[in-house]
Amino acid sequence: MKKITGILAAFIVFSATAAFAQNEISPARKQAIDSLALEKVRDLSKYISIIGNKDTPWSEANRVIERTLELFADGALMGVSSLNREEVNYYGIREYLERLMALNYDKVNISWYNIQYVSDLERQPDGRYVGVITIFQRFEGTTKEGLRYVDVTKKDVTVYVERKTTQISGRIIGFWDVLLGDIRVTETKPGS
Amino acid sequence: MSRHSKFLLLFLLLPLLLPAQGFNSLLGDESILNAQTKQVNQFFRRFNGEESVTGNRFYPGDKDYRNKDLRRRYLNTLFDQQNASMTDPMRDAFTADVLANGKEQYLNFHAGQWFAEVTTRFLYQGKEETLTLFMKLEQENLGYKWVISNVYFSHFNKMFTSNQETGSHFLHPLSHELDFMNLIRVFKDKDFVELYTAKEYKPDYLTLFLYEFKKGNLKFKSVSKVKFHFFQINGWYFELSEFNRPGSNSGWLISGLVKIDENQKDLLLNYIYKE
Repeated sequence: MKKITGILAAFIVFSATAAFAQNEISPARKQAIDSLALEKVRDLSKYISIIGNKDTPWSEANRVIERTLELFADGALMGVSSLNREEVNYYGIREYLERLMALNYDKVNISWYNIQYVSDLERQPDGRYVGVITIFQRFEGTTKEGLRYVDVTKKDVTVYVERKTTQISGRIIGFWDVLLGDIRVTETKPGS
Repeated sequence: MSRHSKFLLLFLLLPLLLPAQGFNSLLGDESILNAQTKQVNQFFRRFNGEESVTGNRFYPGDKDYRNKDLRRRYLNTLFDQQNASMTDPMRDAFTADVLANGKEQYLNFHAGQWFAEVTTRFLYQGKEETLTLFMKLEQENLGYKWVISNVYFSHFNKMFTSNQETGSHFLHPLSHELDFMNLIRVFKDKDFVELYTAKEYKPDYLTLFLYEFKKGNLKFKSVSKVKFHFFQINGWYFELSEFNRPGSNSGWLISGLVKIDENQKDLLLNYIYKE
């Protein structure tokens, strides 16, 4: 169902902007693609919250992991660093989500700030477009003993935008598809 | 006034009656995150006045696109305020040059004259070492990509002496008559071998890096720091770094500013490349 919604949204992007040249991205089309990309990033945020939640049954969390992976291009990585460790640790998306699911807290609360930043889309040599969406996450974990861990992370999410075609009732229809790519996760200090 | 209206009035006035600090805390950290320059892309937009204060993108034709007052306000916030070496008169002179009437200057993502300095960690001979990659944007087909243009690795630099005085280290001009048998002396001592090279010889550290990597002697571990060097503004050089710290003066900010003549540019580049 989710996939169908995504394809429908992509068609809306196409139909809203079909008057423009085939492979150039006009400001109006950019805004439509931004909305689609933001929707995918919001889905990702929602799925991360569900997977991290200790009240989510194991089978449901696994189902959500599979749905999360559908948002990503093959081979996407998470690069994670913290305030006291400059070095970046690299994880595959599945590995990162499974680690999140297995975190040793009794209670986990993941929330998202209303701030996001969507970069310009730049064309790559292979013809696809790439952008980066920045979002901020607050993580709070509490152990059985009542010890609380809180962090705020900045997540820079790569977004690939590609023009694809599909056949409907014998007609070839073009549309813009959005897939998520590598994510850089940095612990941040937003305080005043 | 009904009881209901009084309550509504109190509700509307409440934010004004609360102390400023209390009201700010209701906003939480979001206003700070909003002020932070979150991406290099956002630095470009703010520098050029292509974004509203609420974060909306301006496009050519929009009323406030590249508005000078907006740019002036943004430029004030795009410097690292904790860096005392960038004095107020210096920043003012830079801002005046950028906003000069009829000669306004803008940053252009695709126009070159800027590059990245990426500090990385590699395993070299079993030990973790710092290696710097210099990267620039290059066009291919209709798109762009980042490419490695230069490398600094202290082990490579130490290996090549900058001593140009040959002293007794040369092959005499009639060596050819002896089938260069005196080459045995050239390759006896590792420390002086480059003194026997042509004067235009310059070690190519990028090739050396690729060779060591392909031989398996260098293994990539991680990226530890990224900064950018800009030469796009006439008469100026500035450095862009990311500041992960509390407060609104954070994110991608100008961390160094130097007024330069065109002939000082090569000197500065040599300094950045550590040549």
